Amino acid sequence: MKKLLIVDDSKVSRMVIRAHIKAVQPDWEILEASCGEDAMKITQEGNVDFCTMDINMPGMLGTDAAEQILQMHPHMRIAIFSANVQDTMQTRANSIGSIFVAKPVTEKSISIVVNYFMG
Amino acid sequence: MDSLSELQLDALTEVFNVGAGRAAASLSEIVGDEVKLSVPSVEIRKSSEIDNEVIGLGTDRFGAVHQTFKGAFEAEAILLFAEDHALEIVRDMMSSQISIEDLAEFEQEAMCELGNIILNACLSAMADMLNIPMDCSLPDYTVSTIDEIIQRINAGEVDAYLLLLHIDLVIEKRRSKGHLIFVLGSTSLVKLSVQIERFLGAI
Repeated sequence: MKKLLIVDDSKVSRMVIRAHIKAVQPDWEILEASCGEDAMKITQEGNVDFCTMDINMPGMLGTDAAEQILQMHPHMRIAIFSANVQDTMQTRANSIGSIFVAKPVTEKSISIVVNYFMG
Repeated sequence: MDSLSELQLDALTEVFNVGAGRAAASLSEIVGDEVKLSVPSVEIRKSSEIDNEVIGLGTDRFGAVHQTFKGAFEAEAILLFAEDHALEIVRDMMSSQISIEDLAEFEQEAMCELGNIILNACLSAMADMLNIPMDCSLPDYTVSTIDEIIQRINAGEVDAYLLLLHIDLVIEKRRSKGHLIFVLGSTSLVKLSVQIERFLGAI
């Protein structure tokens, strides 16, 4: 069974991502965090396979959290899910070894993310 | 009804988050630089509660772009910048070679265009995510005091509800804070909350 961590400061956004993921991967265990700092703690505690990460959150930037998480857990796959669709953000996401997916969260964007996780 | 639930405000914040992200991407292309976005926050206030402190821009003169939205609900959208920042943004948009003095003649048109980009980005995010088509009027730009802005807000409806979106759009080293205000009548606030409930119910 795969374990996914959803990181987003918006509860609604986490609900939407969770619902879309559950629809296509009902067996996955889903954890949630509302900031980058909590995300780092949760990934340290264990066995997270995948992570969706928002960028603009209180505290550290999601891209910075993702970079540190991937350095400590290189087996993980992270999808940066952000409304900030500027080229600099997409380049930054790719440079740390994650993929960038534009918000809003839709069935289509979730299928890109799930394909990346499973591919 | 004078407010939205915490979850409804969260949903609305996320809608504006997507809108501001789209706006920042367009702005970034125009000024040729990264636009930094703060985490947005949304609050509902009565127009009688609004003063300089609530707006939080630390100035008493604003560059204000107005646009009217019509669709599932009606709202007047106002984008506020501190006046001195407004001219700096126009300079970023035009070319840094142009002096501030020469910029004055472009200010009107450039600020309308800027407002149009930001307000339409928010509008399109709202239309797409809540699935409610919206139309908007052409933008107009004025330099006003907060009192003049409040007078204009209250001209439409006594004690209207204001949906305040606080977001910082920072261009390069300039601390150009922009604030977005949606003015909704009480009927429109109810209609908006119905649309948000529909969105939440569909998750």
